[in-house]
Amino acid sequence: MSNPLIMKLEYGARLTDADRDILQDLSSRTRRIPPHQDITSESERPENVHLVMEGFACRYKLLPNGKRQIMAYLVPGDFCDLHVAILGEMDHSIGTPWGCTAVEIPRATIDDLTAHHPRITRALWWATLADEGTLREWLVNMGQREADKQMAHFFCEMLVRLQIVGCANADSFNFPISQTDLADTLGISGVHVNRVLQELRAKGLIAWKSKRLHIPDVGRLKAFAEFDPKYLHLTMRENGNSRAEPRLS
Amino acid sequence: MPRFYIDTDDGVFPVRDDVGHEFASVEAARNMAQRALPDMARQKLPDGERRTFTASIRDENGTVLYVATLSLVGEWMVPRSTA
Repeated sequence: MSNPLIMKLEYGARLTDADRDILQDLSSRTRRIPPHQDITSESERPENVHLVMEGFACRYKLLPNGKRQIMAYLVPGDFCDLHVAILGEMDHSIGTPWGCTAVEIPRATIDDLTAHHPRITRALWWATLADEGTLREWLVNMGQREADKQMAHFFCEMLVRLQIVGCANADSFNFPISQTDLADTLGISGVHVNRVLQELRAKGLIAWKSKRLHIPDVGRLKAFAEFDPKYLHLTMRENGNSRAEPRLS
Repeated sequence: MPRFYIDTDDGVFPVRDDVGHEFASVEAARNMAQRALPDMARQKLPDGERRTFTASIRDENGTVLYVATLSLVGEWMVPRSTA
């Protein structure tokens, strides 16, 4: 079983085989999105929900002066815009400077899932809450952590998120993003990104070659970044089942 | 578009730019160099009363065209006991 959507949602609810079949079917018709293309643009009112199955996409905003801020990375198993059915229009864009494979799911299918499949609904809800936790952590990083720790933290987050969907091994993953993308993610200049990367390299914390990020000592990088993965909410509550179950007390 | 290289130094960790960036003009490179300085200052707080941050621009022949410097200078205005 290597469907990233199922692998991810297993963390959000106790899925049954029937649930897994539904999710497998949902994510089977993939489409390749070429690099430098928007999946959804700001102010659009999309009719379909998008799900990343391979590669990376990001949430971003372009300012009138041409500057760009990347607010989130979407990795395999992540929904881009689960709530377009409720929200009037997109307040930001979702794009892929690097190219990715995605699935387009009609709104009606999501409505049907949430009306008839309580465990999947719970898992989707969990995914949305985990996204919010991630955004909070990014805000803390942006406001309070120095750029070297902020960058190290971002690399730790990518490692953990890619590991849970089977897209990273114990200490490395494919990472096609550019230094300019990294600058727009961390809110620092491209020149400073280069400085911080060289510093992390000089400290032996990372190696980044041929679009693959290697972390020689994951524990050391996590300690340096003050990385605590609890904001990703990968530990399920004891009573985390949507079905009514007697609670152990 | 011309390629320029921006070298930086915060007094502790000098970084030579071996890759460079393409810029529309040398003025655009200057803006980039200047923008790096506050980032560098934010990252490295001074361990005393002084720190100097520099960003310099080289062209493809290795000629240094421009140097931007940001100095942090602290000075006490009252006598300090050395207890």
